[in-house]
Amino acid sequence: MSQKSFRGGVHPKEHKELSSGAPFETYLPHGDMVFPMGQHIGKPSTPVVKKGDRVLAGQIIAEASAFVSANIVSSCSGTVKAVERHRTIAGTFAESVIIENDGLYETVPGIGEKVDFHTLSNDEILAKIKGAGIIGMGGAGFPTHVKLSRKDPSGIRYLIANGAECEPYITCDDQLMRSRASEIVTGMEIILQLFPQAEGVIVIEDNKPEAIAAMEEAAGKRARIRVQVCPVKYPQGGERSCISVVTGAHYGITQLPADVGCIVDNVSTVYAIYRAVAESTPLMERGVTITGEAVKKPCNLMTRIGANCGELLEAAGGLKDGVQAVKVLAGGPMMGVAFDNLGVPLQKNNNALTFLLEDEVEAAEKQMTACIRCGRCVRVCPQGLSPQLMSAAFEKKDYDRYEGKLHGLECISCGSCTFICPAKRPLTQEFKIAKAEIMAIKRAQKEKEAAKA
Amino acid sequence: MSAYLNISTSPHTRSPLTTGRVMRDVLISLMPVSLMGVWHFGVRALLVLITSVGTAVLTEFVFDRIARRGDTWKDGSAAVTGLLLGLCLSPAVPPYIPVLGAMFAILFVKCFFGGLGRNFMNPALAGRCFLLISFSGTMTNYAVSDAVSSATPLVGLLENGQANLKEMFLGTGSASGVIGCSILALLIGGIYLFAVHAITWEIPVSALVTFGLFIMFFGGRGLDPMYILAHYCGGGIVMGALFMATDPVTSPVTKPGQLIYGASVGILAGLFRVFASSADSVSYAIIIANLLTPLIDEYVVPLPFGLKRDAAVGNAGSPALTPKMLLPALRLTVITLLAGLGLAGVFHMTKASIESQKLAKKNASYMEVLPEAAEFVDDDVLTSAIDCLEGQVYGTAFGKAYINEAVRGVDASGNTVGYVVNASSKDGFDGEISLSVGVNAEGAVEGISFTQLTETAGMGMRVQEPEFKDQFAGRNVSRFVLNKAGGSTSDDEIDSVSGASISSGAVVNAVNAALDFLAASKN
Repeated sequence: MSQKSFRGGVHPKEHKELSSGAPFETYLPHGDMVFPMGQHIGKPSTPVVKKGDRVLAGQIIAEASAFVSANIVSSCSGTVKAVERHRTIAGTFAESVIIENDGLYETVPGIGEKVDFHTLSNDEILAKIKGAGIIGMGGAGFPTHVKLSRKDPSGIRYLIANGAECEPYITCDDQLMRSRASEIVTGMEIILQLFPQAEGVIVIEDNKPEAIAAMEEAAGKRARIRVQVCPVKYPQGGERSCISVVTGAHYGITQLPADVGCIVDNVSTVYAIYRAVAESTPLMERGVTITGEAVKKPCNLMTRIGANCGELLEAAGGLKDGVQAVKVLAGGPMMGVAFDNLGVPLQKNNNALTFLLEDEVEAAEKQMTACIRCGRCVRVCPQGLSPQLMSAAFEKKDYDRYEGKLHGLECISCGSCTFICPAKRPLTQEFKIAKAEIMAIKRAQKEKEAAKA
Repeated sequence: MSAYLNISTSPHTRSPLTTGRVMRDVLISLMPVSLMGVWHFGVRALLVLITSVGTAVLTEFVFDRIARRGDTWKDGSAAVTGLLLGLCLSPAVPPYIPVLGAMFAILFVKCFFGGLGRNFMNPALAGRCFLLISFSGTMTNYAVSDAVSSATPLVGLLENGQANLKEMFLGTGSASGVIGCSILALLIGGIYLFAVHAITWEIPVSALVTFGLFIMFFGGRGLDPMYILAHYCGGGIVMGALFMATDPVTSPVTKPGQLIYGASVGILAGLFRVFASSADSVSYAIIIANLLTPLIDEYVVPLPFGLKRDAAVGNAGSPALTPKMLLPALRLTVITLLAGLGLAGVFHMTKASIESQKLAKKNASYMEVLPEAAEFVDDDVLTSAIDCLEGQVYGTAFGKAYINEAVRGVDASGNTVGYVVNASSKDGFDGEISLSVGVNAEGAVEGISFTQLTETAGMGMRVQEPEFKDQFAGRNVSRFVLNKAGGSTSDDEIDSVSGASISSGAVVNAVNAALDFLAASKN
């Protein structure tokens, strides 16, 4: 079968060979665990423990504070050291629960208890997912129980398990699919139980033959679930790209995947759903890739959320001797966030820590020329936008044109245009500013109108 | 923990592609056609190319220094402009032509508008058009070897309906026009550009297809494959479609925009070629299409995937054309119309006086060679004899000679006092030599006068000096003979201008053709 791909896209160097051969090593952190309240999209959670409390692994330490919000579960046992502002991986400070890890990993009773999900009602399944504090683990961090709560479940035609993992360097989803294929497929069956009309599709790029084989074997025994292999192309793992290859449908920012009949969840999220529903285990651990040219022993760790990033680097053998990493990324080089301090905790939606020896951005800045209008950015944009024209509108601060004629708010910040640009223009970076400014203007207008009314 | 101070927003990686590499790819793609040109035309072609590239790069370098804007000459774009300009020049042009062209292209079209990425039309083509306008004689004279001079095959095609397709395709014709004329080598370069993703199919294909269709519908030969192919092989449409129109800076960035732009190039090139009979149609077509690019990019923006035009989000910028947007266009149209009408009026009012002035000038030149005549009138016999020639080469004994015009001179009382024949020869050293020959009623030459002469100064140009020119006067022979050695004694011998026997020979041929024509027509 010929492989379907989406329109546009680029081929950054993969670098996956650094860690793709390393199976998961389970690593239980020793140091303090930190849980920021705002790891998800939506309102930050409300802490329900206070300084001095003894907590167990699997115990809820913060509760969802609104409809779009999520619980936070302690991933270790120990004593609450503080509830205070702590530095996060995004470079901000956020209210966090800090737990002094006693290293015993004593769990709350009932964890690991096997449950036959067929006996559960939809509401019970959603309650378990919500209770487990599951959010989109591919990066976005949207609370999963909210995504799965549909008024009209029969409108959903496709459940897409996103195992594309198109971001360079990262291999933890690959390893998860290789080692937990049957669990992921069961996780999909749990979600499919919520959506009787839906077909389950696992999207995988064809550079992961072992994962494809494992998933195909696991899916082969179940009805309603199949694997769809896609050619390697960034950003295949984007939500819209996945939907495009599975259904051919495209949609804009005013719509959600559900509006085109799709639910897209990362395979890590699907695995977390399996653990929460079928094994009564809330979201405490996740796979994370510690990689990059500066790392001594690039690897995939199955570790606890809340662990200190510096400790995780040490678990991977630290940096190569005599080497200074110039840039550290939470995630990969296309959409990852650069941060400057390793004293931050791993969050639910962090799939990798990448330590780079070279900063290509620095090198690119020296090669920057005027835009030669070659149109490559237009050709690679997976949204069908015209980045060259958007950049020109941005430079003139013509936000009406940016938003109206050019639909610049549709930009998903995938970075393809910046990557391909021969003139090394910072296109994505400009669009991030433009989008933020336009949203700020809109908010100000709304407030003005509200004040008038 | 150690601090990692390189903080920037994503993406953190870049493709190895740079502006310099894009330009290098274009230079590589132009190598086959350059080598072919140098192989075929010899070292003169190489000199033209080197002069052109050198001047372009040097101009940008100097401007960089004066304007203190870094080393933009290093990005290779100036070299590309220089090479493209050189390739669309004749190998026979004097060295100042590529120098002036490249300086104009880089300085006026590129640097003054902000340098790379800001030029409003293709610098190489703008440079070529500047040269065409400023040095039309030198530029359209495609002399390629010392003794042979000819118009481009396309002009031949348009005039005679014949063309040697194979020679045009390979670029090995003896009389081909510019250095970069090998279609085969251009296609190889184009395929390379396509393979390295430096160009996409939209612009070349839309330009070539619309051009072919235009020629088919309006070329006058319908679906004559040889005729259409000849149009493709000549006049630079392939060079234009593959290398000039695809210049990213001056073409639209979006796919639909590129299709519209490519089609404009094709249609304009066809229009200029068919209705203006201009071999330079492609150059003008592309620079005019260049000027449309900002307009196309302003209005032709594809919708993002999955959005519908009316359901499009955030209609604040109004994606469709509104009357408000059309107003400036309407105003422009009205202004253009008024200006056009004004020009037409002026033309109409001055037409008669221009015509009479032209006539007076012509009469004056006739008068010079046949002073006895008071007036010159059309002679039915002579006029129909010229019509019979259909603009073809006259006779077989006079080289490439043409009879252009013939009139009868009458005195005040209406008696015939002689004839004036305007003849020309393309056997000169540099373009066409045209002259008027006055013959009195007895058949003796009264005098000759040049109406067009662009021979080499100090050599061929000396044919217009009395020492040479006046030799013809007063002699009554049926045919003159050129004496290259000088010291003629016989009545029919003409002493050649020393060191300019080719020009002298061409003059003698033209005069002989005139005499022969007159003698033949009167019998």
